[in-house]
Amino acid sequence: MKVCLLYENRERAENEPYYDTKSIIQDLGLPVLFSAASKELTYENGELKQVEAADLFVSETFRNVMMTPLLTAEEIAFRQEVAKDFLAAPKFARELYRISTETVTKWNELGRGVRDRIRQGNPVMRLTTEIRVLRLFTDSLSEIRALLKKQENLTSRGLQAFRKEFFEAFSEELEKDVRKVLEDTSFYMAGLDTKKEEVQNTVVKPRIVFECGLEDGLKFSSVKLLAVGSEDVKYIRPGSAGDKLRKFMSAMTKDGVSTTEDGRLREDTQKLHLAVVSYLMKRQKGWMDGFQTFFDQLRLQSAFYLGTVQLTEHMERLKLGWCLPKVCDRRDLSFTDLKELSMALAQRVDVIGNTCELRGKDVLIVTGANQGGKSTFLRSVSLAQLMLQSGLPVAAKAFESGIFPRIFVHFTRREDSAMNSGRLDEELQRMNGIVEHIGDGSLVILNESFATTTEKDGSVIAYDIIRALSEAGVRILTVTHLLSFAKRVYEETKDAPDSPVEFFSAERLADGTRTFHMIRSEPELTSFGLDLYDAVVGKQGKA
Amino acid sequence: MKLTEKKTETPITAVELADPAPEYLGAMDASREFSVLNLYRQDFAAKEIENEAFYLDLNLFPVIDKMTMPWGKAVRKLYMFLPKTPEETAFRRGVNADVNKEPVYRALLTLMERLAHVREMREEKEKTSNRLQRAVWKLREAGAYCSAYEELAEALSRVELVSDGMKEFLRSLTEILTDGGFRQMKKETEELLSEIHGIRFVVTYEKDRVSVEPVDGQTAAEGEASYEEWLARFDGGAGAGMPNPFVTDSTLTELEAACLEMLKSKKPEFFRALQVAADHETEYERPVLARFEREIPFYLAFRGFRMEMERAGFAFATPTADEGKPMEARGLYDVALALMSYPEGRPVISNDFYYGEGERFFVLTGPNQGGKTTFARSLGQLVFFAMMGLDVPAKSANVPFFAGIQTHFSVEESVETGRGKLMEELVRLQPMMEDWRKGSFVVINELFTTAANYDAQIMGKRVLAHFLSLGCKGIYVTHLTELADESEGIVSLRAMLDEHGVQTFEIRRGSAEDTACAANQVNKYRLTYEQLKERL
Repeated sequence: MKVCLLYENRERAENEPYYDTKSIIQDLGLPVLFSAASKELTYENGELKQVEAADLFVSETFRNVMMTPLLTAEEIAFRQEVAKDFLAAPKFARELYRISTETVTKWNELGRGVRDRIRQGNPVMRLTTEIRVLRLFTDSLSEIRALLKKQENLTSRGLQAFRKEFFEAFSEELEKDVRKVLEDTSFYMAGLDTKKEEVQNTVVKPRIVFECGLEDGLKFSSVKLLAVGSEDVKYIRPGSAGDKLRKFMSAMTKDGVSTTEDGRLREDTQKLHLAVVSYLMKRQKGWMDGFQTFFDQLRLQSAFYLGTVQLTEHMERLKLGWCLPKVCDRRDLSFTDLKELSMALAQRVDVIGNTCELRGKDVLIVTGANQGGKSTFLRSVSLAQLMLQSGLPVAAKAFESGIFPRIFVHFTRREDSAMNSGRLDEELQRMNGIVEHIGDGSLVILNESFATTTEKDGSVIAYDIIRALSEAGVRILTVTHLLSFAKRVYEETKDAPDSPVEFFSAERLADGTRTFHMIRSEPELTSFGLDLYDAVVGKQGKA
Repeated sequence: MKLTEKKTETPITAVELADPAPEYLGAMDASREFSVLNLYRQDFAAKEIENEAFYLDLNLFPVIDKMTMPWGKAVRKLYMFLPKTPEETAFRRGVNADVNKEPVYRALLTLMERLAHVREMREEKEKTSNRLQRAVWKLREAGAYCSAYEELAEALSRVELVSDGMKEFLRSLTEILTDGGFRQMKKETEELLSEIHGIRFVVTYEKDRVSVEPVDGQTAAEGEASYEEWLARFDGGAGAGMPNPFVTDSTLTELEAACLEMLKSKKPEFFRALQVAADHETEYERPVLARFEREIPFYLAFRGFRMEMERAGFAFATPTADEGKPMEARGLYDVALALMSYPEGRPVISNDFYYGEGERFFVLTGPNQGGKTTFARSLGQLVFFAMMGLDVPAKSANVPFFAGIQTHFSVEESVETGRGKLMEELVRLQPMMEDWRKGSFVVINELFTTAANYDAQIMGKRVLAHFLSLGCKGIYVTHLTELADESEGIVSLRAMLDEHGVQTFEIRRGSAEDTACAANQVNKYRLTYEQLKERL
């Protein structure tokens, strides 16, 4: 029984995660997003009551799934469909995750994973554990079936197939048969988990009938079970009058031998119990093996969708509009009111959105005023791209982009801004790593790259690298201060009818006010650092 | 140091060696059963090991240990006694020739496997206290014993045996197999076992009681739908087949015994037959076969060892014992050295030699590390294996009969006795020189090295003269070239060097010369002044 909710007919990706996911996560501020996805929001009377503590399994799963791209529009559509079903029934997602998590937890408590150690241990303990695992499986699967039965409005291929396959793999008839085995073997657990004799004044006694032959040493051979069952028998306290009567009756009976009077005979019946119940448990493996990975997979896959549901709830809480993005040609990119989600989540506010439409462009160069929202813009696009490629909703009214299985980020690291000659080296080294992994469908996102050397040198490096990448069919998004680089590209391409390069700048009104909007514009000669200097230092100096 | 350590394992003190001549073994003991090892039917198993020094000096222990390791201590002990007459050696050589035939060897190995299994069954039988089970086990054991020897007789009859020993054995075996008792035993066993296999019954365990009902035909008890078949719905029958709940005990459990008891009243005829079998505690073993089982591994152990060495590229040959021809061997090597060297891929040198008309003693001189000791050992080993009636580590050989093997190798000074080395040597030498040792093969390695050169020469010459007078043959390894002076019965041998003065480990006839041999070693190990200047 496979879950197959993340991929059609598959449990896991066949492709590798992105290159250098550590940088992607760090540079795009993803931890705040993973964290939001793992926190449930509880409401009371329409008011937010509480943000629950983060579920680490959900955040980790969310990260792992998000860091492995979907490769085709079909794969994205498949996941979006499932997400839609869950978004329409958040409780369903939560319940699936709860049941699978509880099952895995209890199973672990019963010693899964240390099975080998237990296997060498006491066979009685081992067997009671097997019975408990069987019960756990049966109860959990029964609960999942009930849950699935209630979901009448599932429209996604993924969940419809899951429900259908589940009903077949764990039919009501199978459950009935399994419960009969549990009932037949209940004598084995009788003294262990209930105190039946005390409570109900009865004990459970086994009834075992088997046919067999003899081998050379006169020992039993070729045993064939004819009947196994458990019977409630009135409990008789040892030494009581009833006990004496029973013993007397037993002694009078000609047919058969009592197994309770002789210590060694009693031991042998214990062996018989153990062997018969072990055998019945062994036979259960036939169907249980099909569910060995089921609970883990269901937990993992439902965790991702629960994360999706919760992340969307967070977006709604902040009143960020969201949509399920669409796939288009790789040279196109368009979006309406796209928000930078990680910043919004971190600051718990709505943020300014951007709108853009590129057709037939391979390179986007963003220049402009400091603190004008350039990097935010770059991050919002990158983030939406990643979310598109994991089948997630994005924080925009609309978002449409191509699929890039290889996404690379190259951000100037603020934290190591302690200037030293090694920084350019480090940057180039990272670039080298990226270039080694470039392939079909690559997207390179550069944020203030090569700013660690002089403007002149940096520009030449940037020009050469970006030109080469672009000629290799790589899409490039870059924010840069290197104006001579930007100017050079602008001059070379401005008169070409189908120029593959687009230039954006942070909007700055005539009075110097920043709108934090990106607009199409010729690269500006200054990034208005002076404005900022004045704003921060200059005015202070004047005051 | 090593030698001293080994010495403590098999202590050979002067007192022991000074014992009078051991009882002569060349007399038939008619009271004992036929033996493939001892023409005179005397049983080595009952004898004290003779503790002869040559086993240690000739490095025979690692070889014998290697051979007999799969067979155990009792077989090892058989290698500790040399035959005392030429007839006995010849007798063994015949048996060995038959064992060397592939079908005979295979059949004997199979027999030993079967008998080991019988022994296991016998040990198992001792565990059970249930009389019925014991009886059945005993029958099974007897059946296996009979079949094992029947198979052997069958296999041997298809081969043309050449040796008196194996022919005589096969005759005794056939006699035993055709006698009534053996046959009857086998028939009864087969019948009873087949009847046991035919019994089926239903065990019902409920309300703390067990009861049993025999099943006739193949139908199960009425009214009971088979749970077994119902279980197929869980796994399609893939895991079907319940093991016996009591399989972990080989003996009958109380519950199984109780069920058998109950079955008794329901199938009385069968249990009566079983009871009869149990009451007849028949002895199935036969003394001749028991002795054969003890002794034949002597040959099997050697054959296994020989095959392993042959796979590694070492030759073995069946020696002749022609008294009219000179004693000689071609391609002779030190088998103990070969055993140690071949796993490491080190080459082992072989040599040829002969004692010409009237030649009695080799005096071997030559450079250190030139293979002198190795050659002397290989000579001793040659005599040992030839006298044992086995094949020898050489390409071909003619070895006449010797009354014994005497060796004297120099050892470290004994810490235990505190005696000086010369004293030690003399104490060990003395018993070798007693009169009853006449006609032995003698290997002497570096005698009197601590004595003054002049004294050593005199003593050496007297020792040689003494052994010659006792009619011994042998080899004397020494530094004293004076001993190699050609005289009555003495042949000078030299360990050879090549044109660069490097040891070739070849041993050739030639007069002894006094050469500096140490320089070769220095050269060989590139430790001369120039070499060291280059290397450093």
